[in-house]
Amino acid sequence: MTISSDPVFWHRLQFAFTATYHYIFPQLTMGLAPLIVLWKWRAIRSGDARYAEAARFWTRIFGLTFAVGVVTGIPLEFQFGTDWAGFSRYAGGVVGQTLAMEGMFAFFLESALVGTLVFGEARLSRRAHFAVSVGVCAGSWLSAYFILATNAFMQHPVGFAIAPDGSLQLADLGGYLMNSWAWSMLAHNQSAALVSGAFVVAGTGAYYQLRGVHKWQAHMYLRWGVTLGLIASVIVAFPTGDHQAKLVARNQEVALAAMEGRFNSGPMAPITLIGQPNVVERRLDNPIALPGVLSFLAYGTFHADVRGLTAFPEDTWPTSIEPLYYAFHIMAGLGTFFIALMGLATLDSWRGRLEARRALLWALMLALPFPFIANAAGWMTAEMGRQPWLVYGLYRTRDGASDVVSAGNTIFTLIGFCGLYLVLGLLYLYLVGRDVARGPAHDVGASGELAVIE
Amino acid sequence: MTRAWYVLLALMFAAFAVGEGWDFGTGALHLLVARSPAERRQVVRAIAPLYSWNEVWLIAAGGVLFLAFPKVFATALSGYYLAVFLLLWCLVLRGIALEVVGHLADPMWQAFWDAVFAGSSALLALLFGAAFGNVLRGVPLGDDGRMFLPLFTDFGTRGRVGILDWYTMSVALFTLVLLAAHGATGLARRTGGPLELRSQRYAKWLWPAVVILLLVVSVETGLVRPGFFASIAQRPAAWLAVFALAAGLFSVLLGMLRGRQSLAFAGSCLVVAGLVGGAAASMYPEMLHSTLDPANSITAANGAADEHGLRMALVWWPIALVLSLGYAGYVARRTGGKVYIEETRAVIALSSQRPE
Repeated sequence: MTISSDPVFWHRLQFAFTATYHYIFPQLTMGLAPLIVLWKWRAIRSGDARYAEAARFWTRIFGLTFAVGVVTGIPLEFQFGTDWAGFSRYAGGVVGQTLAMEGMFAFFLESALVGTLVFGEARLSRRAHFAVSVGVCAGSWLSAYFILATNAFMQHPVGFAIAPDGSLQLADLGGYLMNSWAWSMLAHNQSAALVSGAFVVAGTGAYYQLRGVHKWQAHMYLRWGVTLGLIASVIVAFPTGDHQAKLVARNQEVALAAMEGRFNSGPMAPITLIGQPNVVERRLDNPIALPGVLSFLAYGTFHADVRGLTAFPEDTWPTSIEPLYYAFHIMAGLGTFFIALMGLATLDSWRGRLEARRALLWALMLALPFPFIANAAGWMTAEMGRQPWLVYGLYRTRDGASDVVSAGNTIFTLIGFCGLYLVLGLLYLYLVGRDVARGPAHDVGASGELAVIE
Repeated sequence: MTRAWYVLLALMFAAFAVGEGWDFGTGALHLLVARSPAERRQVVRAIAPLYSWNEVWLIAAGGVLFLAFPKVFATALSGYYLAVFLLLWCLVLRGIALEVVGHLADPMWQAFWDAVFAGSSALLALLFGAAFGNVLRGVPLGDDGRMFLPLFTDFGTRGRVGILDWYTMSVALFTLVLLAAHGATGLARRTGGPLELRSQRYAKWLWPAVVILLLVVSVETGLVRPGFFASIAQRPAAWLAVFALAAGLFSVLLGMLRGRQSLAFAGSCLVVAGLVGGAAASMYPEMLHSTLDPANSITAANGAADEHGLRMALVWWPIALVLSLGYAGYVARRTGGKVYIEETRAVIALSSQRPE
């Protein structure tokens, strides 16, 4: 069967595309929300209206980002049924718990309050509006937890039993919700979202500084952006990324081998900086590697034995080794770059001379898209590393797709999403670009009818 | 346990139909009832505070369907593949139109997004109506419990049916008219000035049409699903729904005659909820009725998840519901009352101030 008529390939591509695109927006809202909360709090404590102004400016961008996140998120829940009917039948009794909880606990909270956050400032006391921002922030992070708990079950199933008909059923709700994998992912993923938020804030500050406009706001975006950016970037790598890697090494050993393009087993396993996996020849071409580092990262000693792909049966290998290898290396490479850039910038910011460093400001501005790429690459690592399983070790991806849907229908809807999401993306960039060009000082806090909720 | 979840799910879908149905109906009437750009902003402001919360009922009900009846979730969504994506795309377009229409104070920009909002709302009313018709008519479930419906086959209601046939299309039309009437009634209550009067006028024409179409669709349903009305007669829960429907229609009439708009709107909500509830009560325990062989039907019993999961969910679900109603109550209290065009104009004037 060629790829183009294999329905499973198209189901996977459709879900990968819609989920990756969707996640551009929530990572930014989850990254911005805590900053908005902090600024509103500072504004109340210090009475400095400029903090309130900053919160208002970013709340406006938050509102638009949130809306795009909502509309691109709605399809995903239903795609479990349309495209992954096999999986829904098999695991719905378990993963349905967290998906329903997300709607009931997180979405109701966010949907009721976000309008009041974006448009209701004039009608509330400062404290009430601050409380609303805390509610929206909590809702967005709560939503992340429920999704990550769902994904963690697919990575590392716990708290279930197997029903007589072979499907999964819930055995222990507490165990399912407290999945160690979920908490590890939550820490890693949320700090990565904070990196995205920090880069957007710092990049915008750098842009204003380079133009010489909105001086005070630029100063503050830079200072808060780079400080948060450094803290979050470090946490993404250590301890959260490190812990995540150790979980993979312990529970998904074959995925670790594929992520590193490692075919042969042995001690002193190197970590590859650059190289091209050659799956047919079972080797890595042109490797530049640091010996022993993979052994150390995965097991804590340089001499630990790290098994390569050939040590595992081929039908348990991840199905797309090359993209998995690159996704992992892009994520890790960018993560390292973030620490370096934000480290330099924070040092200068504390010494009070970041505003004068034009080259660094340019770098901060141009680096703005990179955390989004790193976040997407991180998720691709997790999801392609899980293959060929849909529920790790229990249920194969191939069995989970909707068998009644032909490739033609899936390609049709994929094309539809491509067109629709292209329009959405252009619209979003245009409107956010316009808001950024206007800048915070001119933000009147209200535009259009949604602005006034009496 | 499966019966409890069937009831809760029916209530969630009824809540979605009442709340979001009002938003859809308002959207469908948007270009007709609002004659000037300022009135269009007034319409959007009338639904703005809670339209997103209303929409979450669909997502929450979808999640609960997934949790409690995974086989129904999987079979229905994959079987209705193309219709589901049409629906999702309309929701995307509608959501984005509502969000961005106010971002630019430009007449072409607003005219375009107003049209997208109105068109997608009307299409959503029709699509949800067709879906409702499909659930009532039944679907071509084979011995293996699977199905895949093309958009249409021979437009007949027996055997290998498609998503659209004469029956489901007439239910779709009925739903559009019903939600438009529901929307007009709610809009008359939520707005003041010329828009209020025009909404009342639309409501006055739409409600008689609802009653006529309701009779037509009822007769059709009796033909397409023999036994539908017999089972209503046997079930007290269904009597309650029929009573809600009748009381709702009466309140609409009384409210419109006496000019008591809250009464009319409460009645309108009861009508919508009564129809969803009545259908659910009559169909129980079937969730997906097979047009090929009733033995293939998926019921609340054979489509449900395991007992333990259902029991655990019954612990957290009520807590979440109370919280949700709390947030919405807070927002509704702060944003209640009528929306007037004068303030709308003031807001537009404010937002079109161009920074130098």
